[in-house]
Amino acid sequence: MSQTGPDSAPTTGPDREFQARVADGRLWLQRCADCGAAIFMPRVICPHCASTALSWAPASGLGTVYSRTTLRPRAKPGEAPRPPHSIVLVDLDEGPRMMSHLPGIAPEDIRIGMRVRARIEGEAGSHLVTFQPGEDRT
Amino acid sequence: MTAKLRGKAAIVGTGTAGLDEAPGFTAMDIQALAVRAALDEAGLSLADVDGIFCANMSHTFPAISTIEYLGLDPRWIDGTNTGGSSFVAHALSATMALEAGLCDVALICYGATMRSGAGRMVPPAEQPVYELPHRPRYPMTAYALAAARHMAQFGTTRAQLAEVAVAARAWARLNPDAFERDPLTVEEVLASRMVMEPLSLRDCCLLTDGAGAVVMTRADRARDLAQKPAYFLGGGVASYNRAISEMPDLTSTAARDSGARAFAMAGLGQNDIDILQLYDAFTINVILFLEDLGFCAKGEGGAFVSGGRIAPGGALPVNTNGGGLSFCHPGMYGVFTLIEAARQLRQGAGARQVDKADTVLCHGNGITLSHQATAIFGTEDTL
Repeated sequence: MSQTGPDSAPTTGPDREFQARVADGRLWLQRCADCGAAIFMPRVICPHCASTALSWAPASGLGTVYSRTTLRPRAKPGEAPRPPHSIVLVDLDEGPRMMSHLPGIAPEDIRIGMRVRARIEGEAGSHLVTFQPGEDRT
Repeated sequence: MTAKLRGKAAIVGTGTAGLDEAPGFTAMDIQALAVRAALDEAGLSLADVDGIFCANMSHTFPAISTIEYLGLDPRWIDGTNTGGSSFVAHALSATMALEAGLCDVALICYGATMRSGAGRMVPPAEQPVYELPHRPRYPMTAYALAAARHMAQFGTTRAQLAEVAVAARAWARLNPDAFERDPLTVEEVLASRMVMEPLSLRDCCLLTDGAGAVVMTRADRARDLAQKPAYFLGGGVASYNRAISEMPDLTSTAARDSGARAFAMAGLGQNDIDILQLYDAFTINVILFLEDLGFCAKGEGGAFVSGGRIAPGGALPVNTNGGGLSFCHPGMYGVFTLIEAARQLRQGAGARQVDKADTVLCHGNGITLSHQATAIFGTEDTL
């Protein structure tokens, strides 16, 4: 993309930039240089103050489960029943909320208010942020 | 002042078609039948329609396709799509267009064949890209997350959610057009198959075919038409987010703002409303909207709906047609709130007619608690 905006305008699309940043195994968030807000999902403009001066910073990766649900799939004829699948909303310590899931964690072990930490999964260009129970980084 | 629009237009005709199943028909087919029924009811013809308001999820250009199918030549065309709330928002836009003279006869219409056609919700083309990889099932996941949060924060119970489904069914049993008319108890709702915790099958709306249409004119013309007009008294819309993960507080919807705007325009308060039509895609919706529209305090919706308060014979009639939970739900339910409002206000709702029906509040919800639209209608006495 040619740079036609202010000096601070991004030169790479924010989704692509997010994928490149999290490739190091850490969760990265945008931070607004003008109002200081941490931002997710990635954008080109701050939804709090309309600044385009957004930079990237590694986040703590820590958060708290805000809400949760579990899909209980119905077995289809001739197929083995699919396992339940839990989905969470996590409030990151930096402020933003994100949808995610906790791979391998039983639905009954996922509670609203529990502390979780982020894990970057997947292949280059299609990384995914999942969470595991836990207060602190090791 | 937005109060300029109060009482300036009215619903003068309503029509439905293809409710439950319409095998072999397209969305445009049954929509046309609903439009014809609405115009017949009003004593108007297709040639009189010069304003169209239309949204759906099956067509990229639903207003244009509707114009072509019906052979219309409208002066005003509004295809604003905010999800299932669209038609409640259209009532406000239509009143504005009518009052401005941009059109004289406004048609608000919708049709879908979700049950006999695809057999599932048609997903919108544009989906939240940072949510999809976690395998949510829209729209259910979003409402389940809201319900779970409401339960954790306020102690709302599944039995209280079930009260909403039971009340809707009790109303549906009085509506010959309703899809589900068998008796339903709280125990049966609780025992129904768990789909998306904490929502069981009976916490979720139906998936039916169906079309609905509403015709509006300016108030002066409405008085000369066949039906008692349902006057538009006030309306408002509000939206903060598309994705559920972007919603600031899952227990507090933008209905707070859309409702406040509608009440302000109407010059009415909660105690002035006789009947509510609340888009009940899931049981939690009714609890959220009763709170956010100011009929009870935040967090008290579960207790409020208990003991039959919103059921037939209760203090506050809600979803008198049986709602999306038991009457019909062809994907975008909003237009049916308008239809039921007009029929109640003209004392034309049959066995489910509410005695005191001078004001009705319609509330539409779009996408995943993403857009809220409120419209208040009243009889001539309320002008």
